Amino acid sequence: MAVPEVYVLGGYQTDFARNWTKESKHFSALMREGVLGALQECDIAPEEIESAHVGNFAAELYCMQGHLGAFFTEVDPAFSGLPTGRHEAACASGSIALLAASAEIEAGRYDLQAVVGIEQMKTVSASVGGAYLGTAAWYDQEAEGVEFPFPKLFGRLGDEYDKRYGLDDRYLAEISRLNYDNAKLNPNAQTRTWYMNKEHALCRTDDNAAVGGRIRIADCSQVTDGAVCVFLASRAYAEKYAKGMGQKIEDIPRIKGWGHNTARLRFEDKVAESADSEYVLPHVRSTITNAWERAGMKDVSAIDGIETHDCFTTSEYMAIDHFGLTAPGESWKAVEEGVLEIDGQCPINPSGGLIGAGHPVGATGVRQLLDGYKQVTGQADAYQVKDAKNFQTLNIGGSGTTSVSFIVGVD
Amino acid sequence: MSGNPPNSQADRWAAILKDRSIEHVVVLGANGTMGYGSAALFTTAVPKVTLLARTRDKAEEGLAAAIKQVRSPTVASRTEVGDYDTDLERVVGEADLVFEALTEDLEIKRTIFDRVEKARRDDSIVATVTSGLSINQLCEGRSESFRKHFMGLHFFNPPNVIVGTELIPGNDTDPQLVDFIEAFSTLRLGRVMVRTADTPAFAGNRVGFKVLNEAAQLAEQMSPTLVDRLVGPYTGRAMTPLATIDLVGWDIHRAIVDNVYENSKDEAHSTLKLPHYMDKLMASGVMGNKSGGGFFKKAGDDRLVLDPSTGQYVSAADIKLPNLDYIGEVAHLYSMGRYAEGMAKFLAAEGDEAALARKVIAGYVAYAFERAGEVTETITGIDMIMGAGFNWAPPSVLVDTMGAQAAVSMIEEAELSVPSLLSEAAGSKEGELLFNDDSVNIGKFFVAS
Repeated sequence: MAVPEVYVLGGYQTDFARNWTKESKHFSALMREGVLGALQECDIAPEEIESAHVGNFAAELYCMQGHLGAFFTEVDPAFSGLPTGRHEAACASGSIALLAASAEIEAGRYDLQAVVGIEQMKTVSASVGGAYLGTAAWYDQEAEGVEFPFPKLFGRLGDEYDKRYGLDDRYLAEISRLNYDNAKLNPNAQTRTWYMNKEHALCRTDDNAAVGGRIRIADCSQVTDGAVCVFLASRAYAEKYAKGMGQKIEDIPRIKGWGHNTARLRFEDKVAESADSEYVLPHVRSTITNAWERAGMKDVSAIDGIETHDCFTTSEYMAIDHFGLTAPGESWKAVEEGVLEIDGQCPINPSGGLIGAGHPVGATGVRQLLDGYKQVTGQADAYQVKDAKNFQTLNIGGSGTTSVSFIVGVD
Repeated sequence: MSGNPPNSQADRWAAILKDRSIEHVVVLGANGTMGYGSAALFTTAVPKVTLLARTRDKAEEGLAAAIKQVRSPTVASRTEVGDYDTDLERVVGEADLVFEALTEDLEIKRTIFDRVEKARRDDSIVATVTSGLSINQLCEGRSESFRKHFMGLHFFNPPNVIVGTELIPGNDTDPQLVDFIEAFSTLRLGRVMVRTADTPAFAGNRVGFKVLNEAAQLAEQMSPTLVDRLVGPYTGRAMTPLATIDLVGWDIHRAIVDNVYENSKDEAHSTLKLPHYMDKLMASGVMGNKSGGGFFKKAGDDRLVLDPSTGQYVSAADIKLPNLDYIGEVAHLYSMGRYAEGMAKFLAAEGDEAALARKVIAGYVAYAFERAGEVTETITGIDMIMGAGFNWAPPSVLVDTMGAQAAVSMIEEAELSVPSLLSEAAGSKEGELLFNDDSVNIGKFFVAS
């Protein structure tokens, strides 16, 4: 029996440049704006939603708040009684929530789901936040007592590339430059007004200080507050919705494929496991290829653009060859040849990615899917990839530990 | 889903930028705050930016300040410095854009424009960052080519942080060049551009300083602490009004309100009269933060507050405030994202203090709506500059959130006349919004404190 299709009806992203602590806002305000914004954007009444999922990493730490699914009931009286839940897999939390929601549609339980990815991170200082993020690694073995553990872990990813294939930091700077450039075109991007260029990304002064091995400030994604809400629907609901919007069902994008794998937690164990592989993170590679298999696609040539997990420039560098845009170890070629630019052969992160658009941890996977939706429906405005039909996401939790990929597209 | 054809505006701008570019900007007055701030901003999109000042040392100071402001040594790789006597004619002759950021003095600017006019290429654009002088007056008597290529490009301070920007064509400015600067500033410099008329203080400062000055007038009757609580963040702003005047500088505040007071006659004229105590204290050197204190001042760990009636400072801890519980209740609702409910609580709050706060907000809304058609084409221009230039809740956002009928009642309660645009909005069907830019999160304006 064919797996039932899951459609994406659209959604809403809050402005990632906002600092909700400076606005003196509680977590619930972020949730409320995300969900109400999506209902309004998609012209869907709250009564229509049958089940809701929240992806979030660490609200217990950042906001002293758990039980996040229940906050749906605070958004609208119509949500009283709604089945809700919350999902966590570090920076991949948003994608895990999407997977759970789509599984419920595939199982035929519900026809319309709301999925929220959310994180409020600016509640604490950078160093305290850095320690909280350390719980996405094996905390007491890799992060405890380490200042900013994650830049250091992803610095080691760069070192591993250097060891196996050679790595010139110029290409990392170019990846940073491209994400910041794209962010300037995205009205919801956190860094859209920041001062950045390739020379700055390359500069080795305190203005671009080292934070973990070869990782400097310009190589890092941001500490971000944000919520993103999307609606997933069954074919029956999508048909009804399309009709109501004066569209054809073919115009509504669907999730064509997905991949989901977990590797060992500690970075050193992952690297040891991949010693004989041509891919530094083979489970990430499988996540990508699994999505193609489920979508009936041969390789990356079927993909018109990618929203990838550039928590650091090294993770985007890794993604380039893992997506097969170059042979393993040759990611620099795609950077040099302009393949990744918005008008390139396979644009990566037209939104600006995590470096440019921002990285509210639990929201990122949902943000990537929403940006993919915008691209394949021609709604990405200034960061639109021309004639995009299929977009693929890659969302990674920990140091390459949990990885999830979606392919969203129209036919 | 968006009903607009995808990319229409972006495509139009992109097409404009295909025909013309800016490869070299000369900044005049590059040692001033707006000069070096703008120079740093230009380096994000322009390969060569020349900073000119009276002396080369001053220009070097400007460059150092620009680097510090955006925290990037790369500014230096795209800039060069020089002085007027040695370099002006040569570099102005090469520039695609001459950006004037001299002292706000008509004669000083005119003198340098004499030299710019002689040295510039026929096709180069000349822009001024003036916040107060008339664009038409600044280019009066110049050649046709100069007037065609001249306009106001008013960045707000600091330009690398505040994106709201006013674009002010003169009577003779070539409309195609205005379109070009709008496209360039939007797409290359990341600006939110608002076209304004050549009216006193243009749009943002006209409306914004009216509210700030009314707050300063209120401080004649009550402590600045109370004024800033009443017209505080919960009324739709990140920074309180009197703290804003301290930051901007009292002298700048005076220059702006005096300019509007002398050169305009509108229904709120008296609210633009600088309070006497400010004049008096400025004579003794009080200028706000830059002079070590204005309405507020730090003394060690103690926070001091001006008593405008005596000119003396008192400890903030000693100031007795009336019951302001309603502000906490409004803020609590905002903190949960319940903005309409918070606004309703503000409108319904009892007591003289709440009424006074509503009077200032009613004044802001009414004044803005009365200026639509005068300082900008529609209320949207004022909305955009108040949001992106002042970080204040745009007037239309306040009206949408409280409801147009409630806004009319608030203005009537304040005994102000109701702008016709608002009476019309109150009569139209419910749910129609005045503020329609869905790229702006209106929630950010409802600060919960």
